[in-house]
Amino acid sequence: MQQMIKHEPTFSMLQLSLAPGEVIVAEAGSMVARTSNLTMEVKMNAGRNAGFFGKMKAFFIALIRKMVGGETFFVNHFSSPQGGWVWLAPAMSGAVRHMPFQGNAMLFSAGAYLAHHGEIDLRMRWGGLRSIFAKEGAFFVEASGQGDLWVTSYGAIDEVYCNGSYIVDTGHIVGFDASLDFKIKSPGGGLMGFVASGEGLVCEFTGQGRILVQSRNTGSLVSWITPLLPG
Amino acid sequence: MQVNLLYRPAQSLAQCWLAPNESVTAESGAMVGMSTNVQMSTQSGGIMKGLKRMFGGESFFRNTFTASGGQGEVLFATPLPGDMAVLDVGYKQWCVQNSAFVACSPTVDVKTRASFGGMFSGAGLFILESQGQGQMIIGAFGALEQVVVDGSMVIDTGHLAAWESTLQYTVGKSGSGWITSWLSGEGLVCHFQGQGIVYMQSRNALEYGQAIGGMLPPRQQ
Repeated sequence: MQQMIKHEPTFSMLQLSLAPGEVIVAEAGSMVARTSNLTMEVKMNAGRNAGFFGKMKAFFIALIRKMVGGETFFVNHFSSPQGGWVWLAPAMSGAVRHMPFQGNAMLFSAGAYLAHHGEIDLRMRWGGLRSIFAKEGAFFVEASGQGDLWVTSYGAIDEVYCNGSYIVDTGHIVGFDASLDFKIKSPGGGLMGFVASGEGLVCEFTGQGRILVQSRNTGSLVSWITPLLPG
Repeated sequence: MQVNLLYRPAQSLAQCWLAPNESVTAESGAMVGMSTNVQMSTQSGGIMKGLKRMFGGESFFRNTFTASGGQGEVLFATPLPGDMAVLDVGYKQWCVQNSAFVACSPTVDVKTRASFGGMFSGAGLFILESQGQGQMIIGAFGALEQVVVDGSMVIDTGHLAAWESTLQYTVGKSGSGWITSWLSGEGLVCHFQGQGIVYMQSRNALEYGQAIGGMLPPRQQ
């Protein structure tokens, strides 16, 4: 499998070239173009080796994700006995970033997932009770295993190394290492800080690990546009 | 006509220099600015042609800009941020997705053609086909990526900008059945056959609109 990311940072597109028999899994609706010998199979976003109960669970989680995270229910599996290529792109203007996995685990915001390849498990993780108030949804996607994962953003992606502790606005989180502890809270502390600061909710990380931050925030875009719309 | 493409790729602006009495035809609303000796005239090119264009999601009228009494300058832009390209028409003929058309030399004849599948796609796949000789300016939503088709290829209709008319194409479903195609979220795709160049755009206007529109509060009736 070979990858190429072009037109960074605003109009990023990802090209994946598949060797014969290789399988690429991508977010539904993200395909731009493909060689016509690649077959596309629609599957529910369940983990690998999921049994019947696993699939039922995945179904309900997918339903919740669809409602809270605006994420899609299904993923597309691309493969071909002869190999081929596929171009993928996210809907928003933003970056595409490759995250290699060697047995490590990371958490991603719902909506950041674009595609993956290899033995990667994707699970939903509850962001804690307070995350319900965050516009971005109460769930994170936990990815672990061996392989490659591609995430997207709204705006550019910046990598911050958290050495001890760090605070990020929940709307600007793309992902972070699972080794980090996180707590969602109001930035100034207390109700006043939440309501008056205009910062919404923030995520306080503690420990050692990488944090991916996006330079734009869909929640802010929406709250800027909404009052300007004709009633 | 000499065309300079400025501020590529995100904020492209097409700067067209016209020789005395030379003109350029553009999609209505595309003009950003022009020198004062440039005369603008609005034409539909015949009612049927205008209606056909309107049916194709374009405007009924097209504007022609002519430089009188000296050299003139006209600037054109697209509504969404993205890249632009100048296509040479004559040696090659081009098909352009309607929303990608910006302007062309008056010697280029642009015909509107509806692809039957386009009626249901919501992606509005109406195709403009060039004839004659000259230049054509196209504008994309996102970056323009050139792909050479040799054999066959599949492209999401929302990501199509332009392609050589030598290519055979059919608009259809992306998966094996209608239900899986709908679930896959890919909508309609264009199956290309033959040899030629395809320009694809890296963003899909409909998908972008749905992504943002889905987060907005419902419209009050």
